[in-house]
Amino acid sequence: MSDRALRITMIVLAVIGLGVASYLTYVHYSGIPPLCSTTHNTCLKVQTSIYSELAGVPVALIGLIGYLTILTSLLVPQREETRFASMAFVLVGFGFSAYLTSREALSLHEYCEWCLSSAAIMTVLACLSVWRFLRGDAPPSGDAAAAAAEPDAGAPLVAGS
Amino acid sequence: MTPPSGPDPDLTRKERREQARSERKAMEAAAAQSAQRKRLIQLGGVIGVVVVIIIVIVVASSGGSSGGGLATGSKKNSTVATVTSLIHGIPQSGNVLGYPNAPVTLQYFGDLECPICREFTLGALPKVIQKYVRTGKVKIEYNSLETATDEQETFRTQQVAAYAAGKQNLAWYFIELFYHEQGQEKSGYVTENYLQGLAQQVPGLNLPNWSAARNDPAYAEQVTHDAQIANAEGFTGTPSFLIGKSGQHMEKLENPNLEEPSSFEATINKLLS
Repeated sequence: MSDRALRITMIVLAVIGLGVASYLTYVHYSGIPPLCSTTHNTCLKVQTSIYSELAGVPVALIGLIGYLTILTSLLVPQREETRFASMAFVLVGFGFSAYLTSREALSLHEYCEWCLSSAAIMTVLACLSVWRFLRGDAPPSGDAAAAAAEPDAGAPLVAGS
Repeated sequence: MTPPSGPDPDLTRKERREQARSERKAMEAAAAQSAQRKRLIQLGGVIGVVVVIIIVIVVASSGGSSGGGLATGSKKNSTVATVTSLIHGIPQSGNVLGYPNAPVTLQYFGDLECPICREFTLGALPKVIQKYVRTGKVKIEYNSLETATDEQETFRTQQVAAYAAGKQNLAWYFIELFYHEQGQEKSGYVTENYLQGLAQQVPGLNLPNWSAARNDPAYAEQVTHDAQIANAEGFTGTPSFLIGKSGQHMEKLENPNLEEPSSFEATINKLLS
């Protein structure tokens, strides 16, 4: 998978996550119950629980800011530092998301589908960002790199013939 | 034949190129390895920072909550808005929610600190209210029964506080807000500050009048009377329910689904038909 394809995939995921976080932030401030497929609206229970805010700030808003930061780091010109920044932001988001999911499972015993979908997005983003960072500086593109390597590889043959 | 002893300039050049290439590749590999090591160290650093952040959040949230569930800030606004949208515009009289001439009465026996009652209040109840109470078919009478609250005095105080709001026909706002902002069971979160905080959230509640009403012995007697009814019915757990045609004999509603309104709907529809 090329670096470009990885980056585009991550941008798409960050945009979807941004949409989820925006909806939950809107629901939080408007006071309307969130859409939920479960008949007893577990999303509402989670969204109005004591874990829906951190130091008075809605976790949905924290998520929205997080996704915006991740998206920004993916949209600026890419260098080693920006890949590192993307990975750092994503891992912080992943850790926070894991904490919130553990609260759903261990404290509330209720699950919010919106929160779980955001957690899933963060998990995939975390895997991709770590992979992308550890791969290091990608060649300009796969084909170009191969083309650039080709004359060098063939030099002795040409010289020896 | 012996191989030529003198250096073959062509071969030497090739060898030199090979050597230079292998040296360059070795340097590149070393540089790549060094960069990879650097990245792994950076990754470890980030993971370490993330772990520290999560530990701080966990410690801060567990230390700060201490079992108290009273909402603040935007969450408070959100909770009040949810409760208001559910019951605003429905007549209230004391501990009764619904139109006085509703043909069916549902008696709900609950303990404000009972988490299963919260499950019902946030689960099946809103749908019953929307479908039957708002449309004038059912009225719901809230009665108290001590189950989850540890201290009898605390139980009486919190229940009287709810009934006192009923003097201004706002008891159901207090009850709904209590369940929505219920704290951790047996954590001692129900304090005077908690009750005052809830009262301040009840839309339109006159606080001095509410405080005065809390001293009215009629409400303490009502709590005792609730307990007598519950005992007579053999109720030991909450929530428990009695249902029947208004003004007529009430029957127990056994083991209803607390999260879905189907069991309530079946009985209510039967009584309405």
